[in-house]
Amino acid sequence: MTTLDTLLRDKVLLLDGGMGTQIFARTPTVEDYGGPALEGCVDLLTERRPQWIREIHESYLNAGADAVETNTFGANPLVLGEFGLADKAYGLNVQAASLAKEVARSFDRPRFVIGSVGPGTKLITLGHVGYAELLASYRVQMDGLLDGGADAILIETCQDLGQIKVAVRAAREAMAAKQRKVPLWVQATVETTGTLLVGSDIAAVLTSVEPLGIDVLGLNCATGPDEMHQHLQTLCEASPFPISCLPNAGLPENVAGQVVYPLDPAAFAPKVLHAASEFGLAILGGCCGTTPDHIRALAPGVEKLNPPERTPKLERSAASLYQSVALKQEPAPLIVGERTNANGSKKFRDLLAAEDWDGMIALAKEQQKEGAHLLDLCVAYVGRDEVRDAGELLGRLVSQITLPLVIDSTEVPVIEKALQRSPGRCVVNSINFEDGEGKARKILDLCRTYGAAVVGLTIDERGMAKTREEKLAVAKRLHALVVGEYGMDAGDLIIDPLTFTLGSGDETFRGSAVETLEALRLIKAELPGVMTMLGVSNVSFGLNPAARHVLNALMLYHGVKHGLDMAIFNASKVLPVAKIDPEERRMVEDLIFDRRSEGYDPLKAVLARFSDRKATLADDHRADLPVLERLHHGILDGEKQAILADVDEALKDHDPLKLINEVLLGAMKVVGERFGSGEMQLPFVLESAEAMKAAIKRIEPHLPRESTYQKGRILLATVKGDVHDIGKNLVDIILSNNGFEVKNLGIKQPIESILKELEAWPADAIGLSGLLVKSTVIMKENLHFLEEQAQRVPVILGGAALTRDYVEGDCRRSYSGAVLYAEDAFEGLRHMQALVAGDVSVPAPAPAASAAGDIRILKRGSASVPLTEHGQSSWVRHDAPSPEPPFWGVREIADAPVDLFEHLDEFALVRNRWGFSQGSQGAEAFAAVLRNKAEPQLARWKERLAADPVFQPKARYGYFPVRAEGDALRVLDPGDRSKTLAVLGFPRQGSGRRLCIADFFRADATDVLALQLVTLGQAAADHAARLYREDGYADYFAFHGLATELTEAYAERVHARIRRELGIHHRDLPGRALFAQGYQGSRYSYGYPACPDLEGNGPILDLLRGAEIGVHLSDSHQMDPEYSTSALVAWHPQARYFSA
Amino acid sequence: MSVKVHFLLEDLLVEAPEGTPLQAIADAAGADITFGCRTGSCGTCRVRVAEGLGHCSEMGAEERDFLQGLDAPADQRLACQVTVHGDVAIDYLGL
Repeated sequence: MTTLDTLLRDKVLLLDGGMGTQIFARTPTVEDYGGPALEGCVDLLTERRPQWIREIHESYLNAGADAVETNTFGANPLVLGEFGLADKAYGLNVQAASLAKEVARSFDRPRFVIGSVGPGTKLITLGHVGYAELLASYRVQMDGLLDGGADAILIETCQDLGQIKVAVRAAREAMAAKQRKVPLWVQATVETTGTLLVGSDIAAVLTSVEPLGIDVLGLNCATGPDEMHQHLQTLCEASPFPISCLPNAGLPENVAGQVVYPLDPAAFAPKVLHAASEFGLAILGGCCGTTPDHIRALAPGVEKLNPPERTPKLERSAASLYQSVALKQEPAPLIVGERTNANGSKKFRDLLAAEDWDGMIALAKEQQKEGAHLLDLCVAYVGRDEVRDAGELLGRLVSQITLPLVIDSTEVPVIEKALQRSPGRCVVNSINFEDGEGKARKILDLCRTYGAAVVGLTIDERGMAKTREEKLAVAKRLHALVVGEYGMDAGDLIIDPLTFTLGSGDETFRGSAVETLEALRLIKAELPGVMTMLGVSNVSFGLNPAARHVLNALMLYHGVKHGLDMAIFNASKVLPVAKIDPEERRMVEDLIFDRRSEGYDPLKAVLARFSDRKATLADDHRADLPVLERLHHGILDGEKQAILADVDEALKDHDPLKLINEVLLGAMKVVGERFGSGEMQLPFVLESAEAMKAAIKRIEPHLPRESTYQKGRILLATVKGDVHDIGKNLVDIILSNNGFEVKNLGIKQPIESILKELEAWPADAIGLSGLLVKSTVIMKENLHFLEEQAQRVPVILGGAALTRDYVEGDCRRSYSGAVLYAEDAFEGLRHMQALVAGDVSVPAPAPAASAAGDIRILKRGSASVPLTEHGQSSWVRHDAPSPEPPFWGVREIADAPVDLFEHLDEFALVRNRWGFSQGSQGAEAFAAVLRNKAEPQLARWKERLAADPVFQPKARYGYFPVRAEGDALRVLDPGDRSKTLAVLGFPRQGSGRRLCIADFFRADATDVLALQLVTLGQAAADHAARLYREDGYADYFAFHGLATELTEAYAERVHARIRRELGIHHRDLPGRALFAQGYQGSRYSYGYPACPDLEGNGPILDLLRGAEIGVHLSDSHQMDPEYSTSALVAWHPQARYFSA
Repeated sequence: MSVKVHFLLEDLLVEAPEGTPLQAIADAAGADITFGCRTGSCGTCRVRVAEGLGHCSEMGAEERDFLQGLDAPADQRLACQVTVHGDVAIDYLGL
């Protein structure tokens, strides 16, 4: 008999296309749904309009599909409950499956019915629904599909790792209860962001579902086939399961309020077939926007495909919500962070006692930063409810940490709660045979249900195994149970042969390290494939921190040489063996290998050697360090919470003024040096500044009256006509947290007001900032004004458009006081320190001709391009007809904030706005910073902003008839083209191509000009201001950068819509190339090189009636609120950026 | 030592000291190259080095990452990131 499984072996399987698309093509009415309250309940149509569903199935089977999916995408009690129909769930599934079976049977060759199970409307990982509730809901659906006769269960369109695991469990339990086993398929939905909705990448999905023993893993929905390539590649290389691929008919586009899928059957089929042969796909079909014609177009090609042959290689791994981490690291070992453990870390225990969940998460993040690969998590604390604590902490932790977790508990209910709360794949630590095999089996049952790997300790009924032989014997018994009986992969069994301290001098344990190391070697040799782990630092209990540091490092080193794969270790303390003093190394190795001799005891030698030594290297066991050093590290690491306790302690014995001047400012100096050398990224600098601010606030009440730690004063302002304040605010943050008093006057400050402030508040310098090119001219005018007023106060200038040459040349010539250029905030700080110390005399202006003087033009092309009779550049050809817009005049649109992320230029955000740069780091270290810091930061913001209405994106755009007249565009009234609405003038290049924006529009006929205006709304600007006021420096900076790039993203989104509506979107390039003008035409904003004059914004706002979405022009012609931008859109293929 | 930079778009030939940033040369000579951020992250100034690719400074990490992200051919550079150490011919792409 042909079954789905046998068919899959013989051929590539063709599934159907979109169900919803077909249903909506029948334009269901309120009557069809059975009343207004039920409108949109598509699953109900199986009962109300069975003929439709039958026709749809038939149309797909006629088109050549081997199988159809049931109309049960949302047919579970949770989703149906939103319509008051929860109790219909079982019946609708039975009916949908049997209806589809009936249709399938009416066809000649074997056709199959796939029971469709959608993601529902609630994300378990984000706490929208509880585990038990979700499991029960899916169980009802699975029961119905199986009873209705479905040939397979397809858990599809998965957006949440947690949800997949629950649905798989529900299917397994339903099959077991009914003793009817059918194939279980899973399909994830990877958004254009490259991850599932909740942030998981496809490798994390594979790692997490692979142990659950499914039959197919593939992708559907969200994107067209092209965007799936990278993720299909990952599955092709690693997934042991057949791969399915059911893409949308391209990336959905919103055309005039309608969702449109761009790929017609002729375009869709070759793309899918190409992916099938490229990535060895086993099951093909379509999702949203695909029709029977799409499937018909695929059918002949699918018949020609052979069943794929792949040789996937899956590394045994663990996964967090976000990423997968291989258990076997090259080079070994994998580091399991040990500090989030109530047994091992006093700090963690105290945080747990205080229920300071944020503090615990901060500790977890520190280890992530230090380079741990996994995190050991233990919340066992006498007198507390461990199950509750595990639930509370994990519920908060899993979305904030990118590292997979090691659940450290021996209590079955704790482990189960933790596994339910962990969306990725955990390691359970641990099982043993202390009380026989009963408890170990219970824990292994959990590992199987939730797909976890497991650590087995070499402990049996006789106690902890001490000799290598005993350790190996217990390891073999663990292997027999876990691999032999439970059928887990050997690579998912991690054996910990135990480490005992060498520090006690106890004779029984003198040789214990040797036994452990030899046991490692035996286990690796005799049990191929199993992994090994050690709690390395146990080896040094009882010794002082300096000795522990060296002993731990050498034990780790020899462990790895003997076959150790994983180490529970403090990641910040991994000490390269080469850095250990040779004499000490010999002594400590003698201790490890128990090389005692007559009159020589290595333990005594080690004790003597390290007796009066502090641990010398960076030590994040803060408690081990003197308080002043802890403060120093607190600033460097930007720990604004942890530092407060250290401040309190330091205040007991130290002069508060000295604490600030010597310890805290000393640490900030190191921060500045590290920033300057490229070792430290701006976001980390801001975290240090936040810690500084918190520490100083704590100290200030203790300062003697009248005393000040402040070294000098500066007045800061953004110059007249400029609204940009981020740069100035960064300077404020750095100066005020480095001991200077800053008066921040804000934006758009005329020099007269600044001078007036100076009279009332004498300062050591004025700092002027501005982003616009025009601001550089204003700065020079300001200096002239100060000169006229006979001022001599030093002036520091900074801003994006300034150059050192300009400041040290032109600007210095305008003023007799000192004029200094600050490339960044730290150069500003150095200037202030020098000014206060009296080290700055008035520097002389740089010679007028700087580098430019040595640049000579040898030849300039003989002739510039001539102008046409209409006064336009003849370089621009007008041989293509102007496109026809879908409407004339202006329309308003509003978008959800999450839509903007689709168009976000993440590269520009992370590198440019957030200031992550490689600097002096190696490529790998920088990649780690991006992975561990930048990417989670973006994911967090996305999540935060989805929940918080701080962005209210609105846009207005429109099409106007225009005619070019020389350097200008005459904008005509769409209603009456004899009327002129505006004349927009633009500058023209003086030579070369002699371009002007007007040239891209026809002079001899009416052409179309698109205008657009987007804003994120007033609330966004207010939010940024509030973050700054409340000293959330890092958040403020990150938010501002994100909002700025999302404004750009929104402009790109509206521009994409315009290109589509004008029918020129087929020239759009994929991926990041789009952000580098990878499209036909150009989008020009005022203030940029082709049209630098901001005054042009006025007519644009008038034409688009910007006031209707709350956008106004400031007196300096900039958009208010911030995070708004306007543009002119030219459709002409030769229109690109240029400088006039 | 001086080097010659030939801007092909407008047939402009310029002489400058070896090691001068290309953007300084373009600015001083008024070449038709549009610069955006001047920090290697917007791509507005992408050029094709038609001759003398080996006379351009090595790529930094930022520029390399940016251009790799665009799958740009090996002869393309960001003008704002290049210093010139020999004769080159530059074609502004206006991309």
